[in-house]
Amino acid sequence: MIRDHARVMRGALVSALADFRTIYTWRTWGFAWLARIIVQVAFFAIIGRLLDSPEKTRFLLVGNAVFIAVMVSMLVCASTSWERQTGTLPLLIASPSHPFVVFAGRSAQWIVDGTVCSSVSLLVLGPLFGLGVPLSRVLTAVPVILLISVSAYCFGLALAGLVLRKMELRNLVGNLAGLSLMVFCGVQVPTSFWPEPVQAVTSVLPLTHGLHAVRDLLAGAAADRVLVSVGWELCVLVGWLLVAASTFRWLAESGRADGSIEYGE
Amino acid sequence: MRTFFAAVVFQALVLRRLADLHALITAPLFTLALVSIMVAAGRADLAAHAVLAATVIAVWNMALLVSGEVVSGERENGSLEALVAAPGSLTAVVVGRTVTTTVVSLLSLGESALVAWLVFGVRPQVHHVGVFACTLAATVVAMVGTATAFAGLFVLARSARTFQNSLSYPFYLLSGAVVPVALLPEWVQPLARVVFLSWTTDLIRDSLGQAPVPDAAARIAVVLGLGVAAHVAGLYALSRIVNRVRADGTMGFA
Repeated sequence: MIRDHARVMRGALVSALADFRTIYTWRTWGFAWLARIIVQVAFFAIIGRLLDSPEKTRFLLVGNAVFIAVMVSMLVCASTSWERQTGTLPLLIASPSHPFVVFAGRSAQWIVDGTVCSSVSLLVLGPLFGLGVPLSRVLTAVPVILLISVSAYCFGLALAGLVLRKMELRNLVGNLAGLSLMVFCGVQVPTSFWPEPVQAVTSVLPLTHGLHAVRDLLAGAAADRVLVSVGWELCVLVGWLLVAASTFRWLAESGRADGSIEYGE
Repeated sequence: MRTFFAAVVFQALVLRRLADLHALITAPLFTLALVSIMVAAGRADLAAHAVLAATVIAVWNMALLVSGEVVSGERENGSLEALVAAPGSLTAVVVGRTVTTTVVSLLSLGESALVAWLVFGVRPQVHHVGVFACTLAATVVAMVGTATAFAGLFVLARSARTFQNSLSYPFYLLSGAVVPVALLPEWVQPLARVVFLSWTTDLIRDSLGQAPVPDAAARIAVVLGLGVAAHVAGLYALSRIVNRVRADGTMGFA
């Protein structure tokens, strides 16, 4: 059974890669997409200069660079709907494998894209905005950024399972969720800026703990402190993965019951 | 003129889809993100910059994603053939639809100001109402011109969505929406000066201050001039598209 799931997952990953290669060429990815991402991070980081505060500049730079991983991974919300639009959902549900395995791998290109864009923007803009962190330490943050990407991906996947019933909302839901993470999870201001009930909610959302870990890592904090935050981010990841699996199970079961599994839109 | 007004009304009718109002729906979150930075830094006096930035993001976004897709949308619907064959002018239709979208997108200014007031108690005050109103009017004209250019370019482009994604943040930065152009790196400043929004944001910021606005008329004229230049480029692109799709038989894309 595990081998079967692995085979299905491999097929989904191949589709994900094919999607990515259709959307971008190396030139459009590098000169259009990545360039835009770097400018996006600079747009927020430069606010620190307006505030005349090198400390704020660094805070905004790190927060917004790491947020890129989330923003890109949240595209899973939209790209999951692309699969349903092709009309394959009835076949996926009728197949011996579970559709969640397919959908979980089907948009994995965003995890890689998000991690790369986020890391590159941190590496490129760090020296320009006076981050003052050695390259080796920035590189150690990359695995944590990958973890945040996966965590956000699972969150987006959970929303995608719900949005599949209302596909016209795919971009809106993905964007609103991503922007909410940007506002409340410590990207622009520390989470402590917001009221306590908001902080409680952000503690179970992706990015909050992972971003803490990245900030601590770059500040040269003790390894155990970083690992605690990484551990919490991992728990959030697993939690949202389970929620995502249930939303797809619900989609399949309710679709069977009310006959709403159709071929495409 | 009748075609123009029909297009204005038509766009008002079709602009009810959630996807088209995306920028207005996300504007409050951008406002929260940007104003919170100023408030957390103890610089609530800069909240007006943040409100202005959230507005620029919404207005530019709607120009890119809604107005920019006016012609390609007609083509995908299969209605471009009828539109070109009809006695009414295609330009009037594009400009009319773009005017509606641009005016609607300006609602984000009120929306952002309201969010800043309700959440943070920050209330930007306009001290030079005349300059403020004239700047907004000139911005509508310039944005319509620029959006017309987008409508043309996005049909000619192989991958319009890539262009749409790429033209967002670079222009937010060049518009001086949060950080005035004078504070941007020196090599960026000449680039920013050919973006009409950089003149708009400077004028709006000045109109919020108590000091007299220097050279207001000349600066508003620059906004209009840059908008007209974009409009001329847009009309040229549109005429090229129509000629091209007529010549190669791809008018009916659907």
